[in-house]
Amino acid sequence: MADEAKKKVINRLKSMYPLRAKVDETYLKSVEAMRAGKPTVWAMLNFYYGDPIIKAMDLEVVYPENYGAAMAAMGVAQSYLDRADAEGFPTHLCGYSRANLGYTSRMMKELTGKIPPEAPLGGMPKPIFLMASTAVCDARYKWFQALGRYMDVPVWTFEAPIPGVKELFMEGSYERMVDLGVKHAREFVVFVERVLGKKMDWDRLSETVDLMIEINELWHETNELRKAKPCPMHGRDFWSSMSPALFLMGDLKDSLQCFRNMYDEVKYRVDNHIGAIAQEKYRLLFAELPPWHSLGFFNRLAERGWNFVVESFGYHPPIPLDLNGFSDPLERLTRFSLQVYVGYYRDALEQNVPAGSFAYPYLKYAREWKCDGAFLHPLISCRSASTHLPYVSNVLMERLKVPSLTIEGDIVDLRLFDPEDAISKAEPFEETMEHYRRIRRQEGLDW
Amino acid sequence: MIDKSKGLSKAKEVYANRSHRVKELKAEGKKIIGYPCMYVPLEIITALDLISYRTCGDMAEPVTEADRALPTAFCPIMRSCLDCALKAKDDFLDGIVTTHSCDPQEKTARVWESYINYSYFHFIDMPGTLRPEALEYYRGQINDFKKSLESFAGKELSSEKVKAAIRLHNRQRALVRELYELTKPEPPLISGTEILQVVKALMSLPVAEGNELLDQVISEVKGRTDGPQKKPARLLVWSSTLDDIDIMQIFEAGANVVMDESCGGIRAYRADVKLTDDPLDGLTHYYATEITCARTFREAAFGEARKDYMADLESRFGHLKHIAKEWNADGAIFLLVRYCDPFAFEMPSLKDYFDSFGIPSTYIEYDYTQGSLAPLRTRVEAFLETIS
Ligand code: SF4
Ligand code: SF4
Repeated sequence: MADEAKKKVINRLKSMYPLRAKVDETYLKSVEAMRAGKPTVWAMLNFYYGDPIIKAMDLEVVYPENYGAAMAAMGVAQSYLDRADAEGFPTHLCGYSRANLGYTSRMMKELTGKIPPEAPLGGMPKPIFLMASTAVCDARYKWFQALGRYMDVPVWTFEAPIPGVKELFMEGSYERMVDLGVKHAREFVVFVERVLGKKMDWDRLSETVDLMIEINELWHETNELRKAKPCPMHGRDFWSSMSPALFLMGDLKDSLQCFRNMYDEVKYRVDNHIGAIAQEKYRLLFAELPPWHSLGFFNRLAERGWNFVVESFGYHPPIPLDLNGFSDPLERLTRFSLQVYVGYYRDALEQNVPAGSFAYPYLKYAREWKCDGAFLHPLISCRSASTHLPYVSNVLMERLKVPSLTIEGDIVDLRLFDPEDAISKAEPFEETMEHYRRIRRQEGLDW
Repeated sequence: MIDKSKGLSKAKEVYANRSHRVKELKAEGKKIIGYPCMYVPLEIITALDLISYRTCGDMAEPVTEADRALPTAFCPIMRSCLDCALKAKDDFLDGIVTTHSCDPQEKTARVWESYINYSYFHFIDMPGTLRPEALEYYRGQINDFKKSLESFAGKELSSEKVKAAIRLHNRQRALVRELYELTKPEPPLISGTEILQVVKALMSLPVAEGNELLDQVISEVKGRTDGPQKKPARLLVWSSTLDDIDIMQIFEAGANVVMDESCGGIRAYRADVKLTDDPLDGLTHYYATEITCARTFREAAFGEARKDYMADLESRFGHLKHIAKEWNADGAIFLLVRYCDPFAFEMPSLKDYFDSFGIPSTYIEYDYTQGSLAPLRTRVEAFLETIS
């Protein structure tokens, strides 16, 4: 009963459930297809650059970073971590990478390429190629390179340029990034064609890219609606819904419809002043991935009037761009993907924040979504998720007088996040948020 | 009679008081440009008559200020570099050039630019691969750097000036290689510690003065009778950055370090910049491909459809086999800075590679603090025992 009551503290969106179900269903279908021998790619979250190409080539794709999370949640990661340690990989490396290196070593050295029987969710079969990415962290290409120790599988490392803020606005700089992206994607298509021995269906690719863009535009508009007071959609719904937009999971036409329904539902709530929680007292920004295994702490905070209104920029859709004038699907794809980072740069330059994607999006969010505080969740063994957070906490305070609450967690050692600790810090943090509300008003900020 | 104010003693002095000379030059009206990573094309700085100065961390200085902006589980070298900058230890700099050589360099650059108000700040983006389109993009980045520094210096650079600077830096590269030739004899004529002092001095002086210092050191070393003693093993050290003699002395307590393939050793000097018609082409090629840092994704053939592990290792580490043989190394230590992902992922594969040509190796981790030296010593001694 008590649990039942708690569940209702957050008014979940009905339109979220089909999206969440779609993620599970896609996963199962994909496992079946892979087991039946369909070529599979292991990919890093690549912020769109390569995903539509893989999808248009009808390849199954698994993301070892996500699978690392599944291994951790299901308690099988430890033996793989031990194995990676024994093989000489330093223990301070990203936990997901170590689990994956251990997994691959077991699969290739002990099981002649067969999926380990203990692998959760059907496991990851030996891939046909690996798609790494230079975006976000060094591990995400060095890890796939290191897998060459176990598998004769080629690696494609997707370039994801990231210039400085003022440097982007030097003459020709942006167009050179586009040029790199388009040429690089074209070479990638040639590579995939060679590995698979079949040609790209360019109409299909064009349609895939357009659907991806349309889905993400809708998803962006939906998140814009969360600026309303009270906020109509809680962060939990965000996390449950993001995968079909970010990873292009499942049938894209289907996803488009689901996101349309979600937009309509959120809009309805805004028009009728319906909040995601009963009484919104505090509006929070959440940074980095949430502790997937103890999401219940969000409910307990909701009871206290905490509404989570916006999340880390890396998981949010890029700011839309008019791409209608570009007939080449690879150019639309490139410009769209670049936007994840540089979409914030013009604004960051005007605001004189050199950390254009490293920190600026959080300032924009706190200001526009009118946040009272930031809940920062550094993930100890994921460097890229943790690096920017101390700085973000500083700039939020320096520039906007928005305080942060930092509670550490981890991607593999799930016990590191202590929900009780978060709850026990909630009350004093509420006082802090109240205090800074007054300060902001004194300083002429409008929330 | 050796003039003790020149050569090795001079290098030792510059090492101990790195910023002394650039401060003098600053007082004379010169502008000093800092750089935290060797991927910054120094030739452009030199060609504009500016002085380049490598900003380093300081192992002896506990990190306090950088905690404001960077987490503890982060490259300790970059944390220390930023810490020194935040403590105004580099306040004589007029500007700084950063680059995306690795993720911590990129992230630290953002914080650096936010917190310290230099008159000049520029960030050079770097691709991860060596594909043709990536090199083309990188060339654009180098050209942007040139343009922005020209506007800071208030003058335009001619091709000829850049070429002259390339020649001057190539001369330095050749001299450093010559210096390393002097570790080939048994015992070596110069120790790893002394070379480290020289190389760090080079990063603290105008290039022409560095060349002069090298000339002096080389002639002094060639004629010396007080060189290093023969130790039970000849060591190759491979690391990201090795910039402190306290570490080198731990290795040299039980071995002769004959090669230091790191950013404090030969890495920035192993090859020359080609003198191409457009000098930016030569610079692009050199900085993208010739510096053998683990940050670059190398592969045996572009877009290979099947990976051959040994060919892959050759493409990544081939130069190390050549070094190990030429310098007749008995063993190799891979000195890993904690939280340095680009180098950490290489460890088992690099060991496989050294095993393939029969040179014993080990990796040892430290965190760029004085406190990490004692465990480092124990690990080094244990390894040396196994190979001596
Ligand atoms: S460190 Fe983080 S972002 Fe990088 S590969 Fe690991 S989980 Fe992914
Ligand atoms: S290469 Fe390694 S040691 Fe060097 S700055 Fe990057 S993370 Fe640090």
